[in-house]
Amino acid sequence: MEELNWWEKEIKSSLYNELKFMIPEILFLRGVWLENRQVWKVSFPFHFGLYMLLATLVLLFVGAVAMIFGAKITAGGSTLSLLIYYLTILVGFIGLTLGTVGGTGLIYRRVSDPALKNYSSFADYFNLAFLFLFFVSGLLTWLFHDHAFDGARAYIYSLLTFGGQPEGYTSSRSFLGEGTIVLASLVMAYIPMTHMSHMFMKYFLYHFVRWEDKPNFKGSRIEAMILKNLGFKPTWAAGHIGADGEKTWVDIATSGPTRNK
Amino acid sequence: MRGNFIKPSAISKPSKRLGHIQANELPPLPPPYEDLNNLTLSGLKDEKIANIEASLDDTVAIGIPRPKNKEEEEKYIRAFLSGLRKLFEKKNNWGFLQPLLLSMEYCAKCQTCSDACPVFEMSGRQEIYRPTFRSEVFRRLYKKYIKPGGKLTSKLTGDIDLNWTTVARLAELAYRCTLCRRCASVCPIGVDNALITHEIRKLFSQEMGIAPKEIHEKGTLQHLRVGSTTGMNPVAVKDSMDFIQEEMEEITGYKLEIPWDKEGADILLLHNAGEVLAWPENVGAFAIIFQAAGISWTFSSEELGYDVVNYGLWYDDVQMARVAIKHAEIAKKLKVKKMIIGECGHAHKALAVIADRVLTGDLNIPRESGFVILDEIVSSGKIKFDPSRNNFPVTLHDPCNVVRAMGIVEPQRRILRKIAPQFREMTPHGVDNYCCGGGSGFAIMSGFNFAEWRTLVSSRKKFLQILDAFKGEPQDVPKYVCAPCSNCKGAIRDILEYYHAKERSHIYYGGLVELIVNAMVDMKKPMIKFDEESF
Ligand code: SF4
Ligand code: SF4
Repeated sequence: MEELNWWEKEIKSSLYNELKFMIPEILFLRGVWLENRQVWKVSFPFHFGLYMLLATLVLLFVGAVAMIFGAKITAGGSTLSLLIYYLTILVGFIGLTLGTVGGTGLIYRRVSDPALKNYSSFADYFNLAFLFLFFVSGLLTWLFHDHAFDGARAYIYSLLTFGGQPEGYTSSRSFLGEGTIVLASLVMAYIPMTHMSHMFMKYFLYHFVRWEDKPNFKGSRIEAMILKNLGFKPTWAAGHIGADGEKTWVDIATSGPTRNK
Repeated sequence: MRGNFIKPSAISKPSKRLGHIQANELPPLPPPYEDLNNLTLSGLKDEKIANIEASLDDTVAIGIPRPKNKEEEEKYIRAFLSGLRKLFEKKNNWGFLQPLLLSMEYCAKCQTCSDACPVFEMSGRQEIYRPTFRSEVFRRLYKKYIKPGGKLTSKLTGDIDLNWTTVARLAELAYRCTLCRRCASVCPIGVDNALITHEIRKLFSQEMGIAPKEIHEKGTLQHLRVGSTTGMNPVAVKDSMDFIQEEMEEITGYKLEIPWDKEGADILLLHNAGEVLAWPENVGAFAIIFQAAGISWTFSSEELGYDVVNYGLWYDDVQMARVAIKHAEIAKKLKVKKMIIGECGHAHKALAVIADRVLTGDLNIPRESGFVILDEIVSSGKIKFDPSRNNFPVTLHDPCNVVRAMGIVEPQRRILRKIAPQFREMTPHGVDNYCCGGGSGFAIMSGFNFAEWRTLVSSRKKFLQILDAFKGEPQDVPKYVCAPCSNCKGAIRDILEYYHAKERSHIYYGGLVELIVNAMVDMKKPMIKFDEESF
């Protein structure tokens, strides 16, 4: 709109620019870094930890699939299996640690800062505590039982093979390990149901709220949508609106008590 | 009570007032204004507020009559709930439902938005003005009363009582936010607290008929009835314009012809009619520039055709659509190629952006910001300029609706860099600017002591920014705040007066076109005369 006769110009929207903005935003919480450094210090490790664990899940999945095809994911396998093996450990460990540290910080901030505390409901604490518990139990499992994520991979393997056991793997069930698996499944089921999906919803919020600037041109899809919406029959009750449940938005907007002097 | 300990649920607990402005908690003014640091709001007189709701803070924007008995109270609550439901129905709120729902669901309560809000900051961080306070109250009501099973889960998601006190305070609270959307621009998630405020205002207006009289009765209703929110009818406006034409010739020595109702002109120029009354030189300067650049343009003398404001933008979708449609019908009748919006920020947003989702078919006539064509004229070389005529410190105030809402940032600056050698920016500026404090109707709202609240709180940040922009300049040098928006000019006029900035720092204010004309070589006499009323 900064240009003369902007409606005659081609609308420039660039996927590159969009990604250049959205990737640092989603991965590194660029906005929080810029606007609220204090929160970033705890929010970033927490979110990044979650992303890393998501990546760990993918790596475990890849590892399990490779095992189905006969590969061995150990410290002594082929280059590829070596890569998967060590990468899983690295990414998983960093994820769990960051998540635990960030989670501790977020909970601490939420209880200690009145500005956050006064606005937090039971559900907010519950959500945080739930994720925190998952991180901690994951970290403890790693520490005491499953340094190489072999157990976790075996679990996915058994899911994929409907109960199979990877060759040469002797299961060592542990309370912590099972607890982590249950928590992880719950986390995955629960996030989409809460406002915590904001990490991904960002994409829509940025697109449809913050950046939505598609103009309405004659004969366009937007115009068709508007025309459809203008046909709705509103029921707002204030006198000056003059709605009766029969008149459409068009009727109301083109007339109104105010025009009848 | 220190604001910081108030929780959103406190809104429903009756008390004398929920928030309180205290002089010693407001961010201090620098020298030579320290003695004004003890200014505070003059108290509301008991007899004046005896029958209205005034328990939010120290001021009143609407003045809702207090219910006389329990039944009346219940009626208000029922109406509120019915309006609340309608806000979340597609047939009643198709334009804003999607962003509203997203803003309801995804706030992470990180409070990043709070630090961005000038009202919150300048009130000494009064909890009730925190962007999320209002939103959280509303969010809890939404979760409790609109979401399935909400009443059961409200104990977990944050409970709130819905009673008369909640309803009345929420209505007032919706008028303690200037809708500047600075909070929205920093929210890492994309939640829009200003939109939430806007929707609350709509609920009250569209369902309950509750809105400040300056923007409803004297605003949109009068606009649609008489032709202008100023109360000017077509005859009055033409008379005033004749006067402006004569005065402009007198001031600048330039012979001016103002075209009226010229069918087939390229451009229909639309001003905020407030300019005609309060800043006629702005209207005159526009006319001189357009004439000097040889542009084919016209004014309209039809009702509404000479007043581009659209107060509906702030509180009522129906009123907003009615006004926008009238504007488009007038342009269509005149067969112009485009409509150009003068120096009025809200009109920019209403007509160019929001009306985009209302105007269809033949009514969808292109609409353009006045800054763009002025930039084009100034850079085209059609007019000769002598920038030395503007050789005084100039700073630019960005109207929120032009920069943040529309992304029009550069044209006005390109012009200033060309014609004002001592131009300097405020910090921050452009899309990160601060509101003048008069946004969303505040500049024209003055019932009770509201204008005082505005100057003391919501406009305070702007005043500090202005002082900062001129820091280090000798006291006696005249300084110019270029505020290219009628609404912002009104707010800035009031702060400069309230803090005696003209006497103490020689700070003046005006629009952009006045500076342009002042630098035109063809003008025999200067247009800007400090220390002298130009009209
Ligand atoms: S609106 Fe945005 S910035 Fe404000 S608390 Fe919610 S998520 Fe944080
Ligand atoms: S819109 Fe502006 S005034 Fe309103 S809450 Fe946001 S930052 Fe504050």
